[in-house]
Amino acid sequence: MERRAVASEQKITERVIEACQQGDREGFRLLFETYQDKVYSISLYYFKGDEAAARDVTQQVFLKLMTKIEQFRRDAEFTTWLYRLVVNACMDEQRKRRRFIPFGDGFEMSGKFVEKSSPEERYARVEIADSVRVAIGELKPKMRLPILLKYVEGLSYDEMAEVLNCSKGTIASRLNRGHKILARRLSHLRGAFVTGEQKDV
Amino acid sequence: MFSHVSRELSAYCHGELAEAESRRVAEHLIGCKLCRREFEEIKLGVKLAEHLPCVSAPASMWSEIESALSQHSHPTVSDEQRNPRRFGFGWRPFAVACALLLLAIGAVWFLLHQSNTSQIAVNDKQAINSNSVTEANQKEKQVPVETVNVSPPVNSNDKPAEIKPAPPASDATWEVARLEGSPKIGANLMEESGRLAVGEWLETDATSRAEINVANIGHVEIEPNSRVRLVETNATEHRLAMTRGGLHATISAPPRLFFVETPSGVAVDLGCSYTLEVDKAGRSILHVTAGWVALELKGRESVVPAGAVCVTQPGKGPGTPYFDDASDKFRDALTKLDFQNGGAKALSIVLAEAREYDTLTLWHLLARVQDAERGRVYDRMAALIPPPQGVTRAGVIKLDKGMLDLWKKGMQWAWFE
Repeated sequence: MERRAVASEQKITERVIEACQQGDREGFRLLFETYQDKVYSISLYYFKGDEAAARDVTQQVFLKLMTKIEQFRRDAEFTTWLYRLVVNACMDEQRKRRRFIPFGDGFEMSGKFVEKSSPEERYARVEIADSVRVAIGELKPKMRLPILLKYVEGLSYDEMAEVLNCSKGTIASRLNRGHKILARRLSHLRGAFVTGEQKDV
Repeated sequence: MFSHVSRELSAYCHGELAEAESRRVAEHLIGCKLCRREFEEIKLGVKLAEHLPCVSAPASMWSEIESALSQHSHPTVSDEQRNPRRFGFGWRPFAVACALLLLAIGAVWFLLHQSNTSQIAVNDKQAINSNSVTEANQKEKQVPVETVNVSPPVNSNDKPAEIKPAPPASDATWEVARLEGSPKIGANLMEESGRLAVGEWLETDATSRAEINVANIGHVEIEPNSRVRLVETNATEHRLAMTRGGLHATISAPPRLFFVETPSGVAVDLGCSYTLEVDKAGRSILHVTAGWVALELKGRESVVPAGAVCVTQPGKGPGTPYFDDASDKFRDALTKLDFQNGGAKALSIVLAEAREYDTLTLWHLLARVQDAERGRVYDRMAALIPPPQGVTRAGVIKLDKGMLDLWKKGMQWAWFE
């Protein structure tokens, strides 16, 4: 899949946000290009590979962002505000879909991902990535979200606590649990990691 | 070397600990085999999660968003301004105003109460008895004949009024705050706040809500169209009954201190926060948002952790708990098993659809399925989470309580975050 140029997050300065708050369409476009993949990825993983759901959520998030950006105040990080919109949209969509669509069908995404690493690494990692996606999809939503915010977006514990409206301790505990479950379910992949990479104690 | 550091291990891996804390974890890991084993597990989890790739959004997305946006005359005009919704009037200022108003009323009430207390102290028993008569007569007038269809505890306060010294108000009544509309305590419309005595009913209509302070252990929000009664409140038990409607309880107290009776089961707080709804037929649905709640009726018990749901039906009691993200197929089959004599086919669906943390449901089913089916439930559970040492198939099939408890303990990591 051809990859479009992605604007750097550094470009999202206060001036861009200010321009968006004035209704500047180009500013919105820049915001969209910067965050679209991350928002889409979180939604896709949250909905276990359901592309229609991920598409709906991504659209809802950016529409909301564009119509409500004037409510964004500078006392919070823009990303915190954005990912709170993402989390809320995911949970709303899940609530809507729960009545009509069995939640928990398997992933059907193989081959539809674009790895950000080199082709060689991509080749080596594809099996692990597939297994990880499925295992993350099996996590309970409250464990899945911190994992997605950490590994897709790279938020800090403080930021995740703000996005998910809970304490930093809760984030640490949910990540701990999520990591353990991943390790137990995918223990057969342990050999794929080089022990030399292990953190020194 | 102690205490153990297993809770800090993800934060340690992510560099989220302060320097001193990080050093403590590192030093502890050198000497503690147990934590080191956990650290290896967490590290593997971290490495695996790091393989999660970013996915490209579909190329047509911007044009779809633009076309949706073009329907908006100006993109910076918020939805709420155009379509005021439930809280579109700006609920924060309103909430602050309400809080200030409540504080003012509380202060006035406190001053009046203080002056009444002094008066009572001066006029001693005569005044106390006079108060009691009035309160007791009010109670006689206000408590309706209707009772909850679940055997409530024997309670002398339910009897017609008898003249006795009134206990201190804080012991026998709960403070109620009006949240919206006009809730009623007994036959009386509430002002901004009121007090609910043992035996009295609190009722909300379609447009009203109220919040009850449960002694000093938490609070309960009463949703519209609800009817609840204070059954008992003392140092060892606080008990409400709800015949219809919904409530949201947040309780910080030792387990088994706060109870809510419904026509089809009793919700027993085990340190938690939960939502409980009762429909006209007396069926209820419990949704636990934090901690644990037990649902009980006539010896049948379901223990429901955070994130799980349990339905009760009159005459049958609590169904089997399940996590709220379970598939429709799973839930439908479980309903058949619980309330419609589901049989082998429904059990097969539940077993096939069960995930690791659905062992919560399977653990409850062990004691609820026919003897012949118990082996199937055991086998599926064992495949999802192997039983710990000391738990055998034969023992579980015989419903050995020690083994069931041991296995449950070993599975709780999957049920909780």
